[in-house]
Amino acid sequence: MLLPPTDSKIVARRAEIVAALKDIVPDGVVADPSGLATFDSDALSAYHQMPLVCVLPSNREQVSAILKFAQAEGVPIVPRGAGTSLSGGALPREDGILIGMGRMKRIIEIDYENGCVVVEPGVTNLNITKAVEANGFYYAPDPSSQIACTIGGNVAENSGGLHCLKYGLTTNNLLGVTFVLPGGEIVTLGGKSGAQGGLDLLGLVTGSEGLLGVVVEVVVKILRKAPVTRTLLASFDSVPAAGACVAAIIADGVVPAAMEFMDRRAAEAIESYNQPGYPSGAEAILIIDADGVQADVSHAVSRVTDIVAKCGGKTVEATDEKQRARIWSGRKAAFAAMGKLAPDMICMDGTIPRHALPQVLEDMAKLSDQYGLGFCNVFHAGDGNLHPLIIFDTMKEGEFERAEAFGADILRLCVKAGGVLSGEHGIGIEKRDLMTDQFTPEDLAQQGRVKCAFDARGLFNPGKVFPTLSACVEQGHIHVHGAQLPHPHLPRY
Amino acid sequence: MNKAGNLSQVMDFVRAARADKAPFEIVAGGTRRTVGKPLADLPLLDISGLSGILKYEPEELILTAAPATPLAEIITVLGEKNQRLGFDPADWSGLLKSNGVATLAGAASSDASGSGKLRHGGPRDSLLGFQAVNGLGESFRGGSKVVKNVTGFDLPKLMCGAYGTLSVLTEMTFRVYPKPQNAAVLCLSDVTPEIGFAALRKIALSALEPAGLAYLPAGMMADAGQGAALIKLEGARQPLEEKIAMAHGLLGGGVQRIESDPFPAIGCGEKFVDLPGDVWRVMIAPSDAPRVAKELNAPHWLGDWAGGVIWLAAAPSQAAHIRKVAAAAKGQAMLLRASTENRALHGLYAAQPPALAALNRAVKAAFDPLSLFNPGRL
Repeated sequence: MLLPPTDSKIVARRAEIVAALKDIVPDGVVADPSGLATFDSDALSAYHQMPLVCVLPSNREQVSAILKFAQAEGVPIVPRGAGTSLSGGALPREDGILIGMGRMKRIIEIDYENGCVVVEPGVTNLNITKAVEANGFYYAPDPSSQIACTIGGNVAENSGGLHCLKYGLTTNNLLGVTFVLPGGEIVTLGGKSGAQGGLDLLGLVTGSEGLLGVVVEVVVKILRKAPVTRTLLASFDSVPAAGACVAAIIADGVVPAAMEFMDRRAAEAIESYNQPGYPSGAEAILIIDADGVQADVSHAVSRVTDIVAKCGGKTVEATDEKQRARIWSGRKAAFAAMGKLAPDMICMDGTIPRHALPQVLEDMAKLSDQYGLGFCNVFHAGDGNLHPLIIFDTMKEGEFERAEAFGADILRLCVKAGGVLSGEHGIGIEKRDLMTDQFTPEDLAQQGRVKCAFDARGLFNPGKVFPTLSACVEQGHIHVHGAQLPHPHLPRY
Repeated sequence: MNKAGNLSQVMDFVRAARADKAPFEIVAGGTRRTVGKPLADLPLLDISGLSGILKYEPEELILTAAPATPLAEIITVLGEKNQRLGFDPADWSGLLKSNGVATLAGAASSDASGSGKLRHGGPRDSLLGFQAVNGLGESFRGGSKVVKNVTGFDLPKLMCGAYGTLSVLTEMTFRVYPKPQNAAVLCLSDVTPEIGFAALRKIALSALEPAGLAYLPAGMMADAGQGAALIKLEGARQPLEEKIAMAHGLLGGGVQRIESDPFPAIGCGEKFVDLPGDVWRVMIAPSDAPRVAKELNAPHWLGDWAGGVIWLAAAPSQAAHIRKVAAAAKGQAMLLRASTENRALHGLYAAQPPALAALNRAVKAAFDPLSLFNPGRL
């Protein structure tokens, strides 16, 4: 994957740019090589690049001043939250300023009366929930990296999580953001009322992957914790039976809080990794959470149990909170567990219509034979979001390239089945050159014009999301070497 | 009247208009033409022929329809499979004294959410994807036809509430939801706005997942006393009983179950149909509702969305006052029904701060550089 060529004229002006940034943020400029090395990639760690300089503003005025400077001088900007992007959204540029939002991490206001919290962008996803959980509230979107990822990054990526099926993505849980435009102007989109008095620009900037500006304040909705949550483990003798069961549950009108699928290979790897107690011998397993008031949950659990039985599966229910946690701990360790099977793996992220599941799974198995590489499937079955994990050994000649080609073919399969390239990880640089598989030139040109409405000079996160003519077709994905993930302490779905 | 009944006819029309630099007004069912700044006497593009459900997959929770499909048709077809749209589309044709037919695109383009917005959000929260024709006369797609997607910019959000100023929609895909088997409306009557809205917020912030929370002051509802707080709950039979019991627990005695469901009428503005004056929707933070209602000082008003929106009818001379109160509360006052003169004078919303206004114009130009579509309406 190629980024636009480095502008050597900007690199030559490095000292002057560093000095100017120090005038704006005297105690927040990182310019020494060892300091910059911390920021040379995000969680798409197959790709590294040192930033020209990294600046760490503490307030919106500094952000605005940095952007004005960059605009006037024609210097690219790459925004960064916690650097947990799986698609390379925060990969720096050698000729660009990396603007790290980690210092802006104040919780400004908790407003229980209106069910919302006002935060700076550097607050982690989990810390929002922690700030309100004593009062029985939580913030619903729960990306697996939630202990580290920031709400600013969540807005940029429109992050999802396990519970999207019922509670939506980030975009459905925001009331407003304060946003600094590439020219340094500060605009407020929405607020506690949620109303914008014009076009829904809040909806547009959410998920815009750092291409349109920088988030400096976020108003999120918080929800009352459901009084009851119950977890079921359903096992099946065949993958198609599990797929049909997912469709049947949705068609029945039950909306589980989460519905996760894993195939035999994934379940066995997980079972041997941290023994969550998954049934042995099953070809496919579903983990299903139902939450709500007691009678609602009882109703959902009995419906799901019936449907699973009709589909030829068996259900067991977690008997207590400890067992619930154990079942989920297995699912969250899927990446690490798979890492034990082979030295390297990459994780894909596409969404398909649920009915296409059996066909897509069959076609993926064919691709696996064709490429001579193993893979396993874990995914958010309720919303059709696949996360196939491809395993390989980078030390073997040509395997990395084959794995990437296999991954790209899986995403093409998703698009062909009526789905999309990304359900929650974003495009970044990882899937940039596949955008033409999903969108026509007119579709992409329209999105490009929207980009220009914000960033006429193309300084914001250049080389991400939209394919460039010069780019080669090589694809990059999450690359794990020696079973070591980037941020190995984070659970990953 | 120019009619376009399929995508290529829309493209041909837009290209011709582009060549002539001739702006036009887009009309589907025609019920919302009097909302927003009046358009000069422009040619009409009638897309009412772009009607009908194109694909409905109940097990996928997805519905794709042509833009001018009547809301009534959609509600009926979904209902047959015990489903409904994610957003609660409000038909304002009665309020606006229109003989037209409320359509899917009309409801989404005017962000017309009824009381059920509390449950699954507005049109922006359930429009997954669309096809449209931009101001260059090109057809393009935004979003997708699956429920979870972050591929590229989220253009479906922009289409909702844009009042047809960005493109001519030709196809829309919505997420749909299971329809609860039963509903119940509870009423806490003879309470002040302070007490009534506080009760509604208590339910809003509970785990009861309410489908409607409105406060109707005296005069807006028979037997309301000083005013009535209305609570709509949904669910299968047993869960619903449990929710009702929980609501009683949260609000104490005095809560009565009522037989009628006043919420559809509230969302459609029916309470204001025969009232004189301009009709406004003032969107605010819910906890400000009692204070803002008092400051608005309107003879006729009600609060929906647990206080997140105040509906009111007021004399045309009150426009500046209403906008001032809304701005002070960091809210938005939307002028929904007014004379042509007042709409021209005050617009749909208050003028935005300069940087935001410029950004709105730039985004409009990104879709429609010659400003052909409903120019100036928003």
